[in-house]
Amino acid sequence: MQLDITHLALEYENKDPQEILKLALDKFDRISISFSGAEDVILIDMASKIKADFNVFSIDTGRLHPETYQLLDQVREHYGIPLEIVFPESSEVETLVKEKGLFSFYRDGHQECCGIRKVRPLRRKLATLDAWITGQRKDQSPSTRATIPVVQIDAGFSTSNHKIVKFNPLANWSSAQVWQYIVVNKVPYNTLHTKGFISIGCEPCTRTVLPNQHEREARWWWEEAVDKECGFHKANLVRNESGVAR
Amino acid sequence: MKITVVKKMKADGTLCRKSANVIDDLNRLGLVDQIDEFVVAEEHEPTSQGIALALKHNVDAAPFFIVEEGDSTRVYTTYFLFLKEIFNQEVSEDDEIAEIMAQNPDLSFI
Repeated sequence: MQLDITHLALEYENKDPQEILKLALDKFDRISISFSGAEDVILIDMASKIKADFNVFSIDTGRLHPETYQLLDQVREHYGIPLEIVFPESSEVETLVKEKGLFSFYRDGHQECCGIRKVRPLRRKLATLDAWITGQRKDQSPSTRATIPVVQIDAGFSTSNHKIVKFNPLANWSSAQVWQYIVVNKVPYNTLHTKGFISIGCEPCTRTVLPNQHEREARWWWEEAVDKECGFHKANLVRNESGVAR
Repeated sequence: MKITVVKKMKADGTLCRKSANVIDDLNRLGLVDQIDEFVVAEEHEPTSQGIALALKHNVDAAPFFIVEEGDSTRVYTTYFLFLKEIFNQEVSEDDEIAEIMAQNPDLSFI
């Protein structure tokens, strides 16, 4: 199937999440919703109102909160869907733990552990799909998500022979809009939210934050900011595009 | 086939860390002679050729790789994918995953 993703991203930029989700589910058969066990549960609720059969997967890193596991099962029963749980390769986890222990991320940074427990299984899963749907929102991170489009080619996981399309139907929604949807539609949610958690990931790497702290401060708080020296300043690209010289 | 590598030069005149690493690696692998052109994207020169190419191909970080063959143009933003597909180099999964994560820091939040 040939889709002009750039054109679709512009066309759907200001449309409702439900319209973006319907586009995704209509255009692709091999497509699945990635459910993290947090607020992205609303994608499942929205999809259930569009069609009866849709696919959802979650990655079980082995380090999730008990409340998250409870939500996964609650969602499976509530929506009557065969929620697929994707696991990391046990041999890779065993090697990591044998060599570095169970909390190496506090010392070496979270990338190695996330790579083994989350990104490798994600890549393995995405290799079986043509498109996936995420709950990523611009307001979750002004530094890394401020410009995410509602649909894009997933450059990280695509190859020359297998392009993977990523839909981000909630890109333009705020946290307040998500929670309004959850309340109005009586969507099951992670009870960690009632205990002060905003961003929910693995148990050792997630904490509650104080009022007015950004949700990103709830994760990997012991690490320094990401090195961004290889990025191009947006201003440069804009100024170049407009033909304005320095 | 024409291969162009776009690297980023910071305001202090040095290459960004990843561009420098990639140039070193191409040298180490003996592939640098097979690159037809190196283009610089200068941090404080929005009209530089590299910035223009970044804009043209909708790329937001360096280095990146443009492969032109006949009427087709492929743009690689992932170094190891470029190595694998253009030069048939063996790439370890560890290296691939590390690069994917470095380029997509939000993946940890999935």
